[in-house]
Amino acid sequence: MGNLFGTSKNVSRVTEHDRAVLQLKVQRDKVRQYQRRIEVTMEKERQLAKRLIQEGKKDKAKLMLRKKRFEEQQLTKAEVQLEQLDSLLMNLEFTQIEQQVIQGLKIGNECLRKLHETFKLEDIEKILDESREGIEYQRDIDSLLSGSITTEDDDVVEEEFAQMFADQFPEVPKEDLEEIGDTAPRKDTGKQKATERRERQAQLAD
Amino acid sequence: MASKERFEMPWQYNFPPFFTLQPNLDTRKLQLEAWSALILKYFRSHRLHIIDVNEAQSSPLFHNVSLNRKLSTETIQLILEELRRTGHLEWMDKQKRRGWILWRSVDDWAKLLYRWAIDNGMSNTVCTLYDLLHGHDTADEEFHNMDQDLMQRALKALELQKKAEVISMDGNIGVKFF
Repeated sequence: MGNLFGTSKNVSRVTEHDRAVLQLKVQRDKVRQYQRRIEVTMEKERQLAKRLIQEGKKDKAKLMLRKKRFEEQQLTKAEVQLEQLDSLLMNLEFTQIEQQVIQGLKIGNECLRKLHETFKLEDIEKILDESREGIEYQRDIDSLLSGSITTEDDDVVEEEFAQMFADQFPEVPKEDLEEIGDTAPRKDTGKQKATERRERQAQLAD
Repeated sequence: MASKERFEMPWQYNFPPFFTLQPNLDTRKLQLEAWSALILKYFRSHRLHIIDVNEAQSSPLFHNVSLNRKLSTETIQLILEELRRTGHLEWMDKQKRRGWILWRSVDDWAKLLYRWAIDNGMSNTVCTLYDLLHGHDTADEEFHNMDQDLMQRALKALELQKKAEVISMDGNIGVKFF
């Protein structure tokens, strides 16, 4: 039973694509390992050649260096291969991402299409018509309501309006006028001057 | 390795009785605890993961050359058993000759690997085991060059948590993080 459940639950999330990428990466690792191995042997041979020269074994030393040279060339070849593998890998991985993007676009498109399907053009016209009717109805109500006001009410409204209109101007202070009369052609406009005047007034009152 | 030079042995290491199993049970308990702590610290700083009981005695850890003292194999076994009891050691074989020293638990290794994968944008891609162990990208990580089997166990732990899937292909192992 457990096995049955296990298999149904554990659907592998590793795709064929992943396996291909892994295969390439394994190849890349092998080239890297090869490089490392060659580097180590080259170093050993260099040391050996050095020793052979010290021991006076010229021919053997030369042979060693020739071998090392050959390995150097192999190393360069491996480098080129590594580069190729790397670029191939990048392409592969990028294609995977592109695929995902396309998949995403597809899903988005499908979603948009379905949404459009639910909103049919006639429905929208109907909704707009209905709301227009609603507005007109509201307007009718408004006109009915304003029509119910009598001329008597209008008079009251006018009166109140006149009162309010008058109230919005401040009362003209009488004392100020006298003051201005004393010092004839002075024109007080600035606020500063107004406060000065008020101070003086206070002094006078004392 | 630079860390080798930096590692300093604790004072007990230069204290001859430390290398002889203490008869007094209380003292012995402290002694075993000190040895456990020392082994974990030593292994951590040298980035070692595997202990081989047969070779242990030749390690400077258990053999203080300047004092001319070394731990007996029996005492080493006893200390290792103590480490196993506290969850810091797991035997690889039934004969208890080789074991993993877990100065970090398998689950914690798993967490570390997973965090690395996420931080480096490695989720949803395939990495080879070789890449994780010896690649350029992991050179600064604590799991660089760690024991391959131990890493595989950590990956298995991640697999159980559905955070990774191990892929085995013609003997080559890869992992896909999610």
